[in-house]
Amino acid sequence: MQRRNFIRHLISLTLIPPFLQPRLAHAAWPSEHFAGGDFASRFEQLFGGQTIIDSPEINITLPDIAENGAVVPITIDSELERIERLYIWVEKNPTPLAAEFELSPEIAVFLTARIKMAESCNVVVIARQGQRLLRNQQWVKVMQGGCGTG
Amino acid sequence: MMASSIKIRSQRLDDYTEIKLLISHPMENGRNRDPLTNELIPAHFIRELLLQLNGASIIRADLGGSMSKNPFFSFRLKNSRGGDSLRVSWVDNLDQTDSAEHNLD
Repeated sequence: MQRRNFIRHLISLTLIPPFLQPRLAHAAWPSEHFAGGDFASRFEQLFGGQTIIDSPEINITLPDIAENGAVVPITIDSELERIERLYIWVEKNPTPLAAEFELSPEIAVFLTARIKMAESCNVVVIARQGQRLLRNQQWVKVMQGGCGTG
Repeated sequence: MMASSIKIRSQRLDDYTEIKLLISHPMENGRNRDPLTNELIPAHFIRELLLQLNGASIIRADLGGSMSKNPFFSFRLKNSRGGDSLRVSWVDNLDQTDSAEHNLD
């Protein structure tokens, strides 16, 4: 797996836009991003050393109170251009990273998904815009965290 | 022949075409216990989701066990022509895979 990740990172260092890069089908799932552990250390592993700018221009729509932590709807949208990647983190989940999305320029910065939340916490969205990382987050009170969710 | 696990809908609106996906999948993260046997249910979740428009990749997602059972997504395509071909495919941690095709609205 380490070798695979090395190759992945090597590819990402080239100047070719991600969508023109040849991809081996289904060979690139970044297991280290989705490892279990506490949010702070997983987050640091992915973004450590990079400047993160808090941006209200990344809009997150989440319920203030989620009755059922097994299914929490999230909408992310932005008027910003050139958002290439979106990451959804759930701070208190045993696996804090829920998903990362690679968007081509044909796609508007808009997506909805459904995530699991083990307990009340912040949902953190990171958007990569070129070399910049933008962050927004929202607290969700979870009434019933699904057993073993996240 | 099994029914596809992927349902695709599209709707053409003024400024974009909305794409909705519903995928039948347990998305087990490996931490739930079977209520009858109390045994851990092995992890079984979609790891990669790929959307291709007329053969070109437009969205790639890496997913973890924190995504809900039967994942639902919507996306917006800025410009599309009626009849554009959308292909959706996924592969899970057990290397099971499925795909579906849809002609955009």
